[in-house]
Amino acid sequence: MRPKVDIKIDIRGVSKTYASERGPVLALRGTDLTVNEGEFVSIVGPSGCGKSTLLYVVGGFLEADGQVIIDGAPITGPGTDRGIVFQEYALFPWLTVHDNIAYGLERQRLPAIESEKIIDRLIGVIGLAGFENRFPRELSGGMKQRVAIARTLACDPAILLLDEPFGALDAQTREIMQDELLRIWLETRKTVLLVTHDVTEAVFLSNRICVMSARPGQIIEEFAVALDRERPREELVLSEDFNTIRNEVWLSVRRQALAAGQQNAEP
Amino acid sequence: MIQGVSAPGRDAARVPWRSVASVAGLLIVWEASARAHLTPVLFLPPVSDVVDQLWRSTADGTLARDLFLSLGRAFSGLALGTVAGVMLGLLMARNRVIEWLADPLVALGFPSPKIAFIPIFILWFGIASLSKILLVAFACIFPVIIGTYNAARSVNRLFLWSAMSLGSGRTSLFAHVILPACYPRIFTTFRIAVPVGLITTFTAEMVAGGGGMGATLIYSQRFFESPTVFAYILVMLGVGLVLDAAVRKFQRHFLNWAEEAGA
Amino acid sequence: MGRAVPLVLFAAVWQLVVSSGLINREFLPPPTAVAVAFADLFTGGDIAKNLFVTLFRAGAGLLIGAACGVWIGAMMARSQHFKDYVMPIVGGTYSLPKSALIPLFALWFGIGNVTAIAAVFLACLLPMIVNTYHGVTTTPKVLVWSAQALGTARREVWSRVYLRNALPDIFTGLRIALGFSFVLAISAEMIASTNGIGKLIFMYGENGTYDYMFAAIACVVVVAFFADRGLLLVTRRLLGWHESAVADHERRRA
Repeated sequence: MRPKVDIKIDIRGVSKTYASERGPVLALRGTDLTVNEGEFVSIVGPSGCGKSTLLYVVGGFLEADGQVIIDGAPITGPGTDRGIVFQEYALFPWLTVHDNIAYGLERQRLPAIESEKIIDRLIGVIGLAGFENRFPRELSGGMKQRVAIARTLACDPAILLLDEPFGALDAQTREIMQDELLRIWLETRKTVLLVTHDVTEAVFLSNRICVMSARPGQIIEEFAVALDRERPREELVLSEDFNTIRNEVWLSVRRQALAAGQQNAEP
Repeated sequence: MIQGVSAPGRDAARVPWRSVASVAGLLIVWEASARAHLTPVLFLPPVSDVVDQLWRSTADGTLARDLFLSLGRAFSGLALGTVAGVMLGLLMARNRVIEWLADPLVALGFPSPKIAFIPIFILWFGIASLSKILLVAFACIFPVIIGTYNAARSVNRLFLWSAMSLGSGRTSLFAHVILPACYPRIFTTFRIAVPVGLITTFTAEMVAGGGGMGATLIYSQRFFESPTVFAYILVMLGVGLVLDAAVRKFQRHFLNWAEEAGA
Repeated sequence: MGRAVPLVLFAAVWQLVVSSGLINREFLPPPTAVAVAFADLFTGGDIAKNLFVTLFRAGAGLLIGAACGVWIGAMMARSQHFKDYVMPIVGGTYSLPKSALIPLFALWFGIGNVTAIAAVFLACLLPMIVNTYHGVTTTPKVLVWSAQALGTARREVWSRVYLRNALPDIFTGLRIALGFSFVLAISAEMIASTNGIGKLIFMYGENGTYDYMFAAIACVVVVAFFADRGLLLVTRRLLGWHESAVADHERRRA
């Protein structure tokens, strides 16, 4: 099989300063990162290092210095090629589950029959059949996140951007959602950029992990993760190769977190 | 309405004995002191007289006529003020120039007692309904503008970003995200505007005449017809209660998706 | 101060509209005439006298109403029994347009200060009760428990935790009550009084001296504006630690 090594996302020298009460804050400094097509890349790092900011820049929601090139062309703003899922779900509270998922499809002006088919399939995929007419207010955290993912998938974006998507969920639900996400990725082979503070999650899901330094953020280290993901979770997570990688990544993040701590301790 | 303090009748789960007792007690004291002539009949007519007058006014249609007139004015003014206020609030949130222009006018208008403007409205629009309707609209528009403006500017950016990455353009963002997100807050502001509308109508009628509940109320006072005074006040109280309950019901029904009622 | 520039534009448009004859001078005196009347009123002492009366009535009613309102609201939060007895009365007066009671008070107290103050008092009572109640009852339990665990005596918990936590809400209520105090004082004056700025405005209207009428109204608007601003400033000073001290409209845009 000829390996496809097309660069999907090319982040070059991205710097971002934002204004705060105490003056300008440099969130990212000259960050570089490339993501190949079909890769699952996780960005980990200490709190406040700017990993979410980087994701928002790639999503086109924030302006920054430097360049973000997708499929050879620089981005000009948000687009349906980059689907986003937030930690806080961001479901439109005034729309039902069905209508939330339908939102993106409406923009595409597909014939109703086709849209309905897509929505039905997705609702089946996320396992929420029967909940189509509920409002987000009536759903649990895990259910809301599934709807958020389905809403993003409805537009069939080539790239998935996920900002700590399972951070607000309890541990058990988080694991179930990770399994779901992995399954979806294995099926669709989209390019995924995941931001998370959970190192175990990163190792479980991705084939490459980037560790970001303390603020101002830069990619400091990268780890390739070559694990056989056909194995069930129980085997995988307890295996030696999994834990070797996990420990290395954890150590790297820990070093960055300590550096950040020292930084904050200084006047 | 602030949570926790609701109109009577909400605690239907258990019979509110103490509340009933307190109201009953008041009525009894009232009736007794009036009958025993502890207080001049002029000041505190017996409850029975008030009820009697209420019945008579209803029977001969004066109450209905006055009520219809006043409520018609209040609702028209409210509708006008709310619609105009929402539009202006959204415009201000969207367009910096309009915001800059309108800001001092709204800042001045909001704390000022709109009642002071009654003579201007009478001068321009006469003493019939038009001046009252416009005054009510004028009184309601300021809180609605401010509430709408604040709601539009504080829409969660994650909603906007999600919609953008799902393909929404500028107009779609406005119509499909910003506007629906504002509904709960706009509605809360409207709920506040309702009693403002009523008060303004009644007061304008009391000051300027021209028919309506307020006008009859002040005439009764001038001619010392105290049962009518009391009767009309009770009707106004009833109207206020009914309207508030109706508005809350509407909110529960149409805005049931909001995280918190009145959020 | 740059924020006031649109007002200058507004006055300019106003002047233009009248001078060009678009609107009859009878109905809308030009800003120049109003300004002259304004100055005359101040030097003549007419406004000062009446303004003082109005402010006295509004202020007295506000102070008494606020004090009683806070006490009642706090008691309602403290004692379920008290709340049950008082609830129907509080809930009832919420729906009643307070100015409807002015004729009743005129019947009882005649034309003058007492009627106006009574009306203001009643109008200010409710927002203070509701807001105090809300402030006290939404005190997070964890705050109370922390205070108790740190050795605060029972009686002190009330003043040091509950009431302090309720302060922002109380000041919000005060701001609302301030607005009401002006409305009710002026309403009462227009309906049942022989003096006060409400009565003055009304009289100028009846006499047809519209430039003076506009001047008096402008005076009321300005006074109300600065009273509101003043309260906001005091609130911000005292309650700088709480974000509700800053009204939404004042928050500088990000």
